[in-house]
Amino acid sequence: MILKKGLDICLLGFLILSIGCVPISETTLSPGSPDDLPGCYAIFPAEPWESVHSLEATIRRGSSSLLGVTKGEPSERRLQSLLLSPEGFILFDAERRENGIAVRKAVAPFDSPAFARGLMEDVTFLFLPPQVKPTTWGKKTDGTMICKWEGPDDTQTEIRGSTGSGWRILRRDKRGEVIKEVVLNGPFVNGLASRMELRAFKPTSYSLRMTLVQPSP
Amino acid sequence: MKRFLFISILITVGLFSAEIAPAEDWISLKEASRNIRSVKAEFLQKRYLKILTKPLLSEGRLFFDAPDSLRWEYLNPLQSVMLQKGNTIQIYNFSEGVWKPEMAQAVEARRMVLAEISQWFQGRFDESKAFKHVYSPGPPVRVTMVPGEGINRFIQRIEIFLSVRPGVIDRVEIEEPGGSRTSIEFKNVEINSSLSSEVFEKP
Repeated sequence: MILKKGLDICLLGFLILSIGCVPISETTLSPGSPDDLPGCYAIFPAEPWESVHSLEATIRRGSSSLLGVTKGEPSERRLQSLLLSPEGFILFDAERRENGIAVRKAVAPFDSPAFARGLMEDVTFLFLPPQVKPTTWGKKTDGTMICKWEGPDDTQTEIRGSTGSGWRILRRDKRGEVIKEVVLNGPFVNGLASRMELRAFKPTSYSLRMTLVQPSP
Repeated sequence: MKRFLFISILITVGLFSAEIAPAEDWISLKEASRNIRSVKAEFLQKRYLKILTKPLLSEGRLFFDAPDSLRWEYLNPLQSVMLQKGNTIQIYNFSEGVWKPEMAQAVEARRMVLAEISQWFQGRFDESKAFKHVYSPGPPVRVTMVPGEGINRFIQRIEIFLSVRPGVIDRVEIEEPGGSRTSIEFKNVEINSSLSSEVFEKP
C-alpha cells in the first residue's frame, strides 16, 4: 500500500490511461547478424550528454508541467536528473550510480524514496540500454529493427522501430505483457529524440510526455 | 512553501526596501513604489545550474495592478501562468492546445506567496519578516536581500538592480547554496498603464 501510494505520487502520478496493457504482440527472433547488433543501441546516446526537456505529467487529480534536466555518462552508466518548476526552482535532484541512487534534493511531493526510485528507473529506461548483450535481435523485411534483452525477475526489454517509423522501447513482465513503453520520435539531436512519451501500465498507470528543449553539448 | 518563496523572489518587481540606507534614499524609494499603480513588463530568465554548460533560458511577462492583482506568465519553454485577483489564485499550464489547471496544492502554496508580494507592491516592505534588506547607492543602485533562518537553506542572497527610472527594476539576481543562480532581466517595462481586469482572470 505504501509502495503503491509512493508510486502514485511518483512522477506526479500521471494519468490513468487504462487498466489493461498495450496489446503489442511478441515477435520470435533468431539471433541476428553481428552487423545488425549496433542497431540495438542506436536510439541511446553513446557519448556524454546533457539535456533539458519540457515534461507534461498528468494524474487523475490534474496535470503538471515541469522541466527535466538530465546529464549522462553512458560509459559509466551514470545519470543525474533534475526536476524544475516552470519558475526554475529545483524540486528534485538525484544521481544514479553503479551502487545506487544518491538524492541531493527532494521537495514535497517529490521527496519519497519510492518517487526517487521510480523516477531514476524511468530515466534509466529512457536513456541507457540494458547492460547485457541482447538475447535476440534482427531486422524484419520492412526494415524494422527488433532487439530483446532478458532482465531480472524474468522481465524483458525490447526495442523495435526504424528511422522512418519511429522507435519504441518496451518492458514486459514475466507473462509477456507490456508494463512500460516509450515512444521516441525524431529528429534525433546529438543522439537524443526530439519527442518522447513514456507510458507505464503496471503497477501504477501514468504517462509522461517529453519534448527536447535544449540539447548539449 | 519553498516553491512559494522562490516564486516570490522571481516576482519582486517593485520591491524596494532598505534597512540600512540613507534616509532620503529610502524615503524616495518607498515613495516611488507607492506611486506605482500598475506594472507591465517582459522578462528573460537565465537559470544557471551546475549540471548544465549553458544556462536554461525562459521568457515571460508580468502584469501587476494595485492592490492585489498579479499575472506572472512564462511563455517558453513551458507555458505556465499564475493569476491572482484578490484572494483568488489560479494556475494554469498550457498543454495540447488548452490551458489546464495546476494541482491544488501548488495553488495553495502560491496563495501565501502572492499575499506577501502584494504587500511589497504596495510599499509595505517593512512588514516582510523573511528577508533583511541592505541598500547600496551604487551605481548601479541595488538592494541586497539576505534571507533569515530556514529560507537560507534554499536562497543565499538576492540582489535587485534598480533602474534610474523610478519604480523600475532592471535585473534580479538570485543565488542559491551550492552555486546555482538565476538572473531575471526585465525589459519593456511600462508603469501605470491601463490594464484590463481580464488579464488577471483568464489564462
